[in-house]
Amino acid sequence: MSSNILSPARGGSRAEASKRGRLQARLHKVGRNPKFWFGLIVLAPTLAWYMLFAFLPIINALPLSLQYYALLDPAKSRWVGFENFRMLFDNPLFMPAVRNTIAWAVLGFTLGLIAGMGIALCLVSVTRGRNLYQGLIYLPAVVSFVAVALLFRILLEPQTGQVNLILNRLHLPEGKWLTSSDSALVTSVLIGVWKGIGGTVIILTAGMLNVPEELYDAAKVDGVNSWQKFWKVTLPLMSHTLLLVTILGAIGSLQVFTEPTVLTAGGPGNATFTYNMLVYRTGFNDMQLGVASAAAMLQFVVIVTISLLQLKLFRPKWSY
Amino acid sequence: MIIAAEAKHAARRKRTLDRAKKVAGQLVPHTILIILSLGAVLPFIWMLFASFKPFKELVNSLDLLPHVWTLDSYRQILFRVNFLVAFRNNIILSGTITLAILVTSAACGYVFAKYRFWGKESLFTVLLATMMVPFAVVMVPLYIIVASLRMVDQLTAVIVPSLWSTFGLFMLRQFIETIPDELLDAARIDGSSEWFSFSKIVLPLAGAPLSALAVFAFLGQWDNFLWPTIVLNSPAKQNLPQLLAGLRSYYWTSYDLWMAGSMLTVIPVMIVYAFASKYMIKGIAMSGLKL
Repeated sequence: MSSNILSPARGGSRAEASKRGRLQARLHKVGRNPKFWFGLIVLAPTLAWYMLFAFLPIINALPLSLQYYALLDPAKSRWVGFENFRMLFDNPLFMPAVRNTIAWAVLGFTLGLIAGMGIALCLVSVTRGRNLYQGLIYLPAVVSFVAVALLFRILLEPQTGQVNLILNRLHLPEGKWLTSSDSALVTSVLIGVWKGIGGTVIILTAGMLNVPEELYDAAKVDGVNSWQKFWKVTLPLMSHTLLLVTILGAIGSLQVFTEPTVLTAGGPGNATFTYNMLVYRTGFNDMQLGVASAAAMLQFVVIVTISLLQLKLFRPKWSY
Repeated sequence: MIIAAEAKHAARRKRTLDRAKKVAGQLVPHTILIILSLGAVLPFIWMLFASFKPFKELVNSLDLLPHVWTLDSYRQILFRVNFLVAFRNNIILSGTITLAILVTSAACGYVFAKYRFWGKESLFTVLLATMMVPFAVVMVPLYIIVASLRMVDQLTAVIVPSLWSTFGLFMLRQFIETIPDELLDAARIDGSSEWFSFSKIVLPLAGAPLSALAVFAFLGQWDNFLWPTIVLNSPAKQNLPQLLAGLRSYYWTSYDLWMAGSMLTVIPVMIVYAFASKYMIKGIAMSGLKL
């Protein structure tokens, strides 16, 4: 009985023999099915890659945050429980990083959404050149942020930069921009919005154009003005799009790293030091991989909570 | 007669008035959009001309065009720093990763769209879920894996963890599902192999989403900064964003050098964008409506 399942039936009842025969035939059929082999060749390496480079890091993240991890000699790693979290909270940079990241997210998100809505309204109201305008406004989004950062560092240089030269020529007060801890964060956020608004605008414009024309016609018959039209027709009908933009915006701006790193390196002082810079620094400058993981886990929990809250609060209860 | 003529006159006057109203209604948004478009493009035009200015003119001058044209900053960026090496690295990284993502996304997209196997939907959901995890969470564990595979400071440390793209897989599956089954069945009845159906039927039909994916993958990798900063350390392995960021610290007032380096980094992006902007915008708009 325990002999090779594929070998021809030897003895046994007739029913068993036919059962084995059927199984054999089925395996044979699967083996000859070209779809089976193609699927196997595609899925086997896919699963292996996802196992190693997607699932394993995620699975390891939590235990790592409870360990002291010795990179050079992993055998010396040991469990430390919540010690990593205590070290994180004791880090003098923790509070500034949290504060700056929240300020960055709130400011960038509000500005981006309001300006994005304004631009999208302009785009849906023009009958010609919409694609060209979108193409130009999206342009900064495709350019490497490092190049953009170098450009704005020159333009915003307080003594020699072109922005202050123009303000001076117009007899307006000059700014210190990235060089003062009072204005560095706001300036960085503005540059981030300048670069990132194109994507928001495209999504919002698509959402606005997706509102059925008949509803506007009906509103016209009812004699509503354009203000009411915006608040009572456009806005409620694009709430799915707004929800998407809100969630993506919150997730993205809570993870901001490249912008402050290359614009100001977190300075002056800690004025633009963000949370992901803290994760990077504890992990790869101080080599405290466990503490960095703890910081990342904390961020993950916050991001998931915020996303779920947004879904719960803002998800429209209907669809069309 | 007089009344009729007057009515006609009034109608014409009303028409011109309506038209004027319409033009005025278009004028405001057009003006705003032109100003914003200029605001988006002008800094890059300034960058272009600035890269040809001598340092003294680059600072303290409000003129857009250089008074003295010079290629000195380009000579310096090409020969004084590792620019050509970083440029080559960028091409290798973006090229191989884009190619890999196209192949893996198309093949997996096809299998997930047209095959039926046990646990397909739950597997797909699990794959998609990996997209929701912030990068900071996987950053450290992924570094440990890459380090244990002895890939640190090799270009493979960036390439291998980017061979598959969950976003690309999702995008291609969505598209391939719209290809009618009859088309594939007809080919199978004619006795063609699975490879034939995939390469001669599915791939040509998926040209549009594949080109959009190629552009996103290429540009995304071209500008990638965080992960390369973690795993590529030696000057010979740096990519362009790393090299540019390095200019800020090592040549911290060589603005002419900065602008020439930025220009050379941005030019390939602008060329790709000039051809692909329409597909990219369409792709973003669609993802916004569908997700």
